[in-house]
Amino acid sequence: MAPGLFGYTVRRLLWAIPVLFVISVAVFYMLRLAPGDPVDAILQKNYQEEQAAALRKKYGYDQPIHIQYIKYMKNLAQGDLGISTRHRDFTASEVILPKIWVSTRIGFMALVITFAIGIPVGVYAAMARGTFLDPLTISSWLALDAVPAFVLIPVLQWLFGLKLGIVGLGYEGVWSSHMVLPVLILSLPGVAGVARLMRASVVGVLHEDYVRTARAKGLRERTVIITHITRNAMMPMVTVIGLSLPGITAGALFTEQLFGIPGIGQESLAAALAPDFDVILALVLFGSFLFVMANVLIDVLYSLIDPRIRVGAGRGG
Amino acid sequence: MSNKMLTLMMGFVAFLILAVGVVFVIALAGGGDDDNATPAEGGKSTPKAGASSGKICEGNVLYVPGGEPNSLLDPIQVGDVETSEYIEEIFGGLVTLDRELNVQPDIAKSWDVSNGGKTYTFKLRDNVVFHNNKRVTSADVKYSIERAADPTNASPTVLAYLGNIVGVRDRFANKATSVSGVKVIDETTIQVDLVEPADFFISELTYPVSFIVDKEQVEKNPRNWTQKPNGTGPFKLAEFTPAEKIRLVRNDRYHLGPAKLDEVVFELGGGSLLTRYENNELHVGAFPASLLDAVKGGSNPLSKDYRAVPELATYYFNLNSAQAPFDDPKVRQAFAMSIDREQINNVLFYNALRVADGFLPPDMPGYSEAVTSYKYDPTKAKQLIQESKYAGKLPRITLSYSGAGGTPGDLLVAIQKGWEDSLGVTVQLQAIDSSAFLREQRQGKFQMLSDGWSADYPDPENFLGKLFASDSPLNYSRYKNADVDALLQQGRRETDRTKRYTLYTQAEQKIVDDASIIPLFWPVNYQVVKPCVKDYPSPSMTIPKYRYISIDPKAK
Amino acid sequence: MAVAATADDLYAAGPIAAPRRFRMLRNLLRKKLAVLAIAYLLVFYSAGIFAPLVAPHDPNAQELTVDARRQGPSAEHLFGTDALGRDLFSRVIFAARTTILFTLVVIVTGGLVLGLGLGLLAGYRGGWVDTAIMRVGEVLGGVPTLILMLAITASFRGRINDLSFWLEDHTFLGSDAKTLVKFTIIVGATTPFAWIGSSRIVRGQALSIRESSFVTAAEAMGASTWRIVSRHILPGVMPLFIVGLSASMAGIAGSEVALSYLGLGIDPPGASFGNLISDAGFVRTFEQYPHLLLASSLPVILFFYAWNLLGDALVDLFEPRTHTQR
Repeated sequence: MAPGLFGYTVRRLLWAIPVLFVISVAVFYMLRLAPGDPVDAILQKNYQEEQAAALRKKYGYDQPIHIQYIKYMKNLAQGDLGISTRHRDFTASEVILPKIWVSTRIGFMALVITFAIGIPVGVYAAMARGTFLDPLTISSWLALDAVPAFVLIPVLQWLFGLKLGIVGLGYEGVWSSHMVLPVLILSLPGVAGVARLMRASVVGVLHEDYVRTARAKGLRERTVIITHITRNAMMPMVTVIGLSLPGITAGALFTEQLFGIPGIGQESLAAALAPDFDVILALVLFGSFLFVMANVLIDVLYSLIDPRIRVGAGRGG
Repeated sequence: MSNKMLTLMMGFVAFLILAVGVVFVIALAGGGDDDNATPAEGGKSTPKAGASSGKICEGNVLYVPGGEPNSLLDPIQVGDVETSEYIEEIFGGLVTLDRELNVQPDIAKSWDVSNGGKTYTFKLRDNVVFHNNKRVTSADVKYSIERAADPTNASPTVLAYLGNIVGVRDRFANKATSVSGVKVIDETTIQVDLVEPADFFISELTYPVSFIVDKEQVEKNPRNWTQKPNGTGPFKLAEFTPAEKIRLVRNDRYHLGPAKLDEVVFELGGGSLLTRYENNELHVGAFPASLLDAVKGGSNPLSKDYRAVPELATYYFNLNSAQAPFDDPKVRQAFAMSIDREQINNVLFYNALRVADGFLPPDMPGYSEAVTSYKYDPTKAKQLIQESKYAGKLPRITLSYSGAGGTPGDLLVAIQKGWEDSLGVTVQLQAIDSSAFLREQRQGKFQMLSDGWSADYPDPENFLGKLFASDSPLNYSRYKNADVDALLQQGRRETDRTKRYTLYTQAEQKIVDDASIIPLFWPVNYQVVKPCVKDYPSPSMTIPKYRYISIDPKAK
Repeated sequence: MAVAATADDLYAAGPIAAPRRFRMLRNLLRKKLAVLAIAYLLVFYSAGIFAPLVAPHDPNAQELTVDARRQGPSAEHLFGTDALGRDLFSRVIFAARTTILFTLVVIVTGGLVLGLGLGLLAGYRGGWVDTAIMRVGEVLGGVPTLILMLAITASFRGRINDLSFWLEDHTFLGSDAKTLVKFTIIVGATTPFAWIGSSRIVRGQALSIRESSFVTAAEAMGASTWRIVSRHILPGVMPLFIVGLSASMAGIAGSEVALSYLGLGIDPPGASFGNLISDAGFVRTFEQYPHLLLASSLPVILFFYAWNLLGDALVDLFEPRTHTQR
């Protein structure tokens, strides 16, 4: 790692602390000041003042909010994310970690497929520039992008699950044939975006000197495309891939709901509706933290790939 | 770019476009344009049902859909139907409910009521053991009730079900260190004293909060004992993978006779239950009312597996009689008379629900057919509005319902439109997230709300006393009628069951007439059960039921 | 005022002078797909805006009979009817209106301008302002906004009601008032977190223009900051921003559809594509009544697709070498 790089990374991460602090305070207060709290949700129709008081005491809600916050942060510093009230009394980590893991594996598969298709399609479209095949390629993938998951899912479930009977529809773990449809539904709509960016990027390097030189040297066209054009056009992809990474841990609400996948997307919505204070806060902090990490990672990667870019200097894009 | 790569990609794109096109063409061509085509449509899609149903019918393991538990598997923490289902199988209490919802002895073998209905003396069986073969004694019963009342455990249900036991409230308020009303007489005799006589107390004991837990296990591992709970029920917890499955295995030493099944596997992952049923992944499937026609249709192989399971519950509207315009009984009655429940049931629910003639559901002990609710009569309703003090100046009404995150169903939209058309009133529907809904309801901050009540134990007190006694904390509509209060009071204390039920019937009719609630429907669940599943009980509330079931591989 | 593009990257297209903009419009119209897209969008928007005039039936009029529910398409009901016997075609038209209202709210409340403004500020001022804006945006961008939105709408529910009733009774908005108020809250709750993407693009662009010689020259001649930003940087950033805008239109409309699908958007019985799809969008319902899903989703899918195509065509036009070759 370059000498300045470490210090830079640390500075970037330090920036996140005050912002995360403000977010956590804001969310903490907002949840507790909103009408309706976990105690209402737990007691339902059995609400009696004594019972509510006992529960408030148990979860510490009887304390002033700032005391609760300090206590929460103390526990957080020891790696304790708190207690779930929607899944009473599992710890927040017991609730969210397995679900994040499920979503992440599915999301990762989908991400790989998106880029594995999107990058060659983009290169292809760029090479086919000027013919009708270029707009045709991109616009057919765009069509897929325009179909909301909750429309696509019932149609595909019906076709492959009921009509053709090829795939089962229930959840049986991540590594099962039942996950083929969900992964495809998560990956294919994203292809258009990746392809479009890849295409622009390839078009950008098409006329660079090194490409012309390579061609002049009489290298085979495939070699030129793969080693010279594609490799250099991959730079902007680093940003896109990097920024997509935190997203896959957030889960995909609709796909999870309609396929019954126990992922974090479903849990987030349910936690927000419950409300499940500690789980919500853990998800918010986790999401923001990952996003920051991804951003830092991209910058560091950039400087490693292309030494001309100094970290910390103004960089567009 | 090489030609090969180009061809490959073109091929892929072409395939994709083709695939999307084919889907839509098939959908348009295959989908019938009218309802008549639908049963056949449902049938066409299920060529596999029955063909290979042998597989799950060969073993002795039952596969059923299950709900994700909302709490740890601890009897004093459970408050929801999903978790109760598992608690009822793993644990047991002094008494239990049979398939007809009668109270039956469980750990107790008999009981006497003395002292004018205020003292219950239970005689325990001497052959009851925990799953680890340790004997259950009256000390375990006392410990379990005291643990429920311990304020540090903050059980959400203890006051509602056991609050009538002498000393429970004191213990919960930390004014005592034990529950004085529960006395161990000897190893197999325990005495429970009540604050006031209540015939339904024995029913309250069928609720999980008083179920027996193993003191030794709980105290050894207070945080994690529920991962392998040592109960007394017909099944033991063998596996709990959150969001995936719960697996229960038979308790061979169960004192009421061991179960016939080796295992029950609850599949917690969602997905389309009906499809999974058809694919022979589950023995039991559930489906929404809109599919009723398709499933029941004669040509559908599912039709012979179909069964309706009534719920011990009532859907109703709650009108806030403390707020305009529902402080005028005539307005309330007019609203009740302008809901065409028969028509809605027919069109929206394929006649699968039961129109609620009264408040108590028909499967409830003490139900009386004599109770009647307001019939649909828009002309009379209009006339009542004219006679009311809000004639010509009905304010805007807000009908709240629980559940941001779900559409209210067509039911509310149909009723809203009906009111607007027949009474000329503006009604807006408002979704409120469930916890805020409960709070606002409790604080009386609503005009009208859509609600439901399902039985915790089979006794009319659980419906009428809880919701309509003017001093009940659950009386959200601020309903107050001195006659009803008197009747309910008598009903609570009366020890002759037939007389009690008559008192409740009288109270019920008065409540319905006052129209501070408008009963709508008694709900029904729709299920399909594989023919190889024998003696599958369909009780209208959660009871321990899996021990009755067996799988007959010959019946396919 | 011709400025050479400094890089071929899409994000670095140079400032574009006024006459060139008209040429671009002409170029845009030369693309057949783009023309089709524009035509469809025009139909969609006019149907939505004039919904009360266009819709053949009252979208809320029910016909509660067994024969009238979930009918297939007919001359009387072009798209058939739903479970309550309501005319689906009319509901689709009113759903288009809901989509338009939401887009309107997003634009009016400045949800989009926030990204532009902060990006400009960061790019032009640079230094600690830049760092602060970018770093804060990075953290906010990762916050799951759905959760916050729910909490905020819950807290303000009472006031939302009062305000929307007042607007309904005292202004020309009528029945749209409630939808507008609700959408404003939703958008207001989510925009503070969602600007990082567009401001990054704008910032990069502003940065490269700022360092170009004509801006340096203008600064040397003592031009005011405001003048530099408004005369030099903003015009350079705008085309890119418009491209970004057209590309995000589908996304904005899509978020409304998704919210309503979850039951968090417009209240029933109001029509939104999300509500219509969630009524019809389960595999069994689709099997039985495919027209319900197809009729309520295809119009909005085409709407998204049209915006995507248009955005794509615009990107093309800003990509110098491609379009000169066509």
